[in-house]
Order: sequence, then structure tokens, then C-alpha cells
Amino acid sequence: MNDEPTTTGATGTPRHPAGRVLDAHLHVLDRQVLDRDDVPVTTVDDLEFDGIELGSRIEPGSPAPTVTAILTGPQLVMRIFGGHSPTARIIRVPWHLVAEVGTVIRLGVGADSLDAAWVERWVSRHIIGRIPGGRHDPE
Amino acid sequence: MKKLFAVALGILTAIGGFVDIGDLVTNAVVGSRFGLGLAWVVLVGVVGICVYAQMSGRVAAVSGRATFEIIRERLGPRAGLANLAASFLINLLTVTAEIGGVALALQLATSVDPMWWIPVAAFGVWIVVWRAKFELLENVTGLLGLTLIVFAVALFLLAPDWGSLAGQALQPSVPDGEPVATYWFYAVALFGAAMTPYEVFFFSSGAVEEKWTVKDIGKSRLNVLVGFPLGGLLSIAIAGCAAVVLLPAAIEVTSLSQVVLPVAEAGGKIALAFAIVGILAATFGAALETTLSSGYTLAQYFGWSWGKFRKPAKAARFHLAMIIGILIAVGILATGVDPILVTEYSVVFSAVALPLTYLPILIIANDREYMGDHVNGRVMNAVAQVYLVIILAAALAAIPLLIVTGAGA
Repeated sequence: MNDEPTTTGATGTPRHPAGRVLDAHLHVLDRQVLDRDDVPVTTVDDLEFDGIELGSRIEPGSPAPTVTAILTGPQLVMRIFGGHSPTARIIRVPWHLVAEVGTVIRLGVGADSLDAAWVERWVSRHIIGRIPGGRHDPE
Repeated sequence: MKKLFAVALGILTAIGGFVDIGDLVTNAVVGSRFGLGLAWVVLVGVVGICVYAQMSGRVAAVSGRATFEIIRERLGPRAGLANLAASFLINLLTVTAEIGGVALALQLATSVDPMWWIPVAAFGVWIVVWRAKFELLENVTGLLGLTLIVFAVALFLLAPDWGSLAGQALQPSVPDGEPVATYWFYAVALFGAAMTPYEVFFFSSGAVEEKWTVKDIGKSRLNVLVGFPLGGLLSIAIAGCAAVVLLPAAIEVTSLSQVVLPVAEAGGKIALAFAIVGILAATFGAALETTLSSGYTLAQYFGWSWGKFRKPAKAARFHLAMIIGILIAVGILATGVDPILVTEYSVVFSAVALPLTYLPILIIANDREYMGDHVNGRVMNAVAQVYLVIILAAALAAIPLLIVTGAGA
């Protein structure tokens, strides 16, 4: 993990030398994820890694695992209460969509293109958007 | 006028914390039973909320992160959820009480049974949250809430024995016939009201709503230094009025009509009209503050889109949560429960949630990744740490005192 996000060195925030070391727990988990237009999408509920089996021993000298996705949805419940969720229900935001890691995780795409925003879209379309004034700016 | 509007956020936040329906009554109860013997608690509370609200405002201005995002980020999902559950429950109870409070204030003005006013008040709160711009709602309620200054004016008109009032305030003692535990119960209740967590949720989220940046740190400080001391002053003025009029006459405060009695006695109908407008604005403002706070906390914990600067359809779950919250509040009120009783409990519970709210703010305010050069200074940290100890003591004492004293009976 430690050498992975060097490719995403934060640009906008002060005091970040290029290629800084990030702690997944301290700097990524539970941070706000914004889309490219600064619209909140979700919080980083969990991370998905490649190249590592859960519970198995890591041999010395084996290649470092890489982050493959930000997980959300039922993952939050798993982290709070433990257990596993069925793979089909996990909502993933592929890590290659991440544009910047700072005090927020910024994506390079719009929220509307993401599975992680489907609940928001559904509530917007079927409930809030149907109440008079729901699609207008406040006055 | 522009300067006044600039501090509207601080004023509204403080009014919601210090003189919402529960505090209006609690302050009058305290005044009628202990005189100004608990004024020192308000002072301690004002300093504490100034310290932490200023920190949360500065974090929001510099990093753009509102308080509950920080709570989730620092405490993690579990402790964050515990805080969310407690804070959300307090918010919901307070929304309930404030909607009831608006109905009670309308009853005071019209003599129409509050049951008829509850749906009107609830719809009013919703429509403002739904349609009004953030600046509009804070300016109107903040400005109208200022009419509560009539309590301070009334205190002067009553021409009290200032020496004896000062004596009560400067040499606090438990009056004869009042148990010591009751005195401390009200001390915790007043402290909890002054530092109630929804103030920092609302203040920091309001800073994001108003799109504050590093340039606005001074504005944040001004808001804090005008708003909260004003709230504390109003709170003491209400207790002072009760101490002068109600304490000698041994009148027990059970409803709003006793709260405004000293004002009517001092300034007649005009003063009473000001007081009613002020109470209406304060309870309505507090209803908005707590309704929005319930949406802010949920949205920020889960990372939903939020904010009144967006169209409701662009912050759908945020608005849905608030609609459900208001409906639950109306449901609770429909059972005929006394709204004032509801806040008295919620204030005590808020004391319990205090440490989980203020510790993360202190940590982030020292984090250079978030704050750059605007981290806390040494004095600020020292004061904040002293307050963490006080907060922890209040939190630990709150529930036992509630049980021992039978809610201050």
C-alpha cells in the first residue's frame, strides 16, 4: 500500500512533497469522495486490494499489493459490525478514476456515471424531484 | 446593516443554542429558583462554545470540511456512528421541541390551541428549508431574534437591587431548600445547552454554505465573538428577569407565559409584543438550525451530497432525511407530549454527546494537512484541553444527575 498512491500526489494542498507516503487508514479511509464538479459521492467506506489474500500469510519479498477500488454500500455495515457481504452487492469505485488524494478524494469523472450514486439518483428522480420546487434553485 | 448581516450566522447559531424553547424555559426556571446563582455556568459555556465554534469555523474556512465529515474521518465508522446516533436523536428531539415551541409562541400571540399551530409550524419550517436561500433564512431569523434583547431592557426597567443580583452571581451558593444535586443538574443543563453539539454542526456547515475561504477566518471569529456572548447575555437576562420578579413571588415556571411575565410587568404590551416576536423568531430559527443539522450530520457521515446552495434534487437524500425528521417530530407532538419537557431531556443528553464532537475538532484544528499554517496556537490548545476535561466531567455527570434529581424536580 505504502508506495502505491505516490502517483496521486496531492497538488492543491500545502506541504505535500511529491511522492509522499500515505497511510491507508489515516489518509484514505473515511474521507469524503468528491466528483470532478465537487459534488459529494460517498465516503471511503473500505478499500479493495489486489495481490493479497485475506487471512493468508504474506511471504517476505512478495510484490506489494495495490489498491484497486474504493468500496461503499454494504461495506460500511461490514466494517462496523464485521462479517462479509455478498460480492454482488458491493459497490466499487475503481481506483483509476481517482484524480487526487488530499483531505478529500477527488474523482476525475462526474457522479452521474457512477454506480455509487444510484441511491442518490433514485431518490432524486422518484421522490425529491417530484415535489414542487425540487428542481429549482432556492430563492 | 451589512456588518450586521455578516454576523447573522453566528447570531442564529447562538440563538438556537442559548435561547431556544427549552433554554427560554430552563433559564427562567433557573432564575426563579436560584436567582443569578448559575450565571457563572453560562459564562463558562460561552467561552467554551466560542473556543470550539471558532475552531470548527476555521477548519471549515481553511479546508472546506464541515464538522461531521471530520468526526467520521477521525473517529472512524464505529465511534462516528455512536456520535451520529446520539447527535441525531438530540437533533430530532430538539426539532420536535422547537416546532412545539413555535406553536406555543403562536398560542401566546393568538390564544389558539397549539395543536392547531403544530402543522402550520412544521410546514413553515419545511418550506423554508426547501425553498429559501441560506442567507435569507439566517438574516431574517437572526435579526428578528435580536428582539429578545427586550429581556435585557426589561431587567433595567424593573430597576432591581443590582447589588444583590451581583452578589448572587459573584458568590454563587445553593439556596436553602434546594438540594445540591438539583443545583448541579441545572448547571450541567445550562452548560450542555451552551455547548450543544448542533451549534458547531450548524456553524461549520453554514460556513461551507456561505463558501467561506481562508480569507474569511476573521469573519468566522467575528461571528463567534458577537453571536455567542450575545446568546449568553440573553440567557442571563432571562434568568435575571425571573430572579427579580418570579423568585420573590415564589412563582413556579411551567410555561412560556411565566417566562414573559417579567417583561410584561416591566414594559407593558409593547415589550410583551417584542418578547413574543423574539420568542417566535428564536424558536423558528432553532427549528431551522436543528432540522438542517440533522440533515448535515447524516449527509456528512455517509458522504451524501448536501447543502442549501444546491437544488433539492441535487441533494436528494439530504432533503429526504429532513422531511422524514420533520414528519417524525410532528408525530411525536401529535401524542400531546409537552415540548418543553422534550428539550429538557435533550439538553441533558447533549451533554453526553459533547466529548465525541469536540475531540475530533481539536485534533483536526492541529492537523497541518487540513489547516496548513492556520493550526491552533498554544494558548488555544491549552484552553481547549481544559474545556475537554470540563466537557468530559459534564458528560459523565449528566445522566446520574438526571436520575438522582428526577430531572430537576
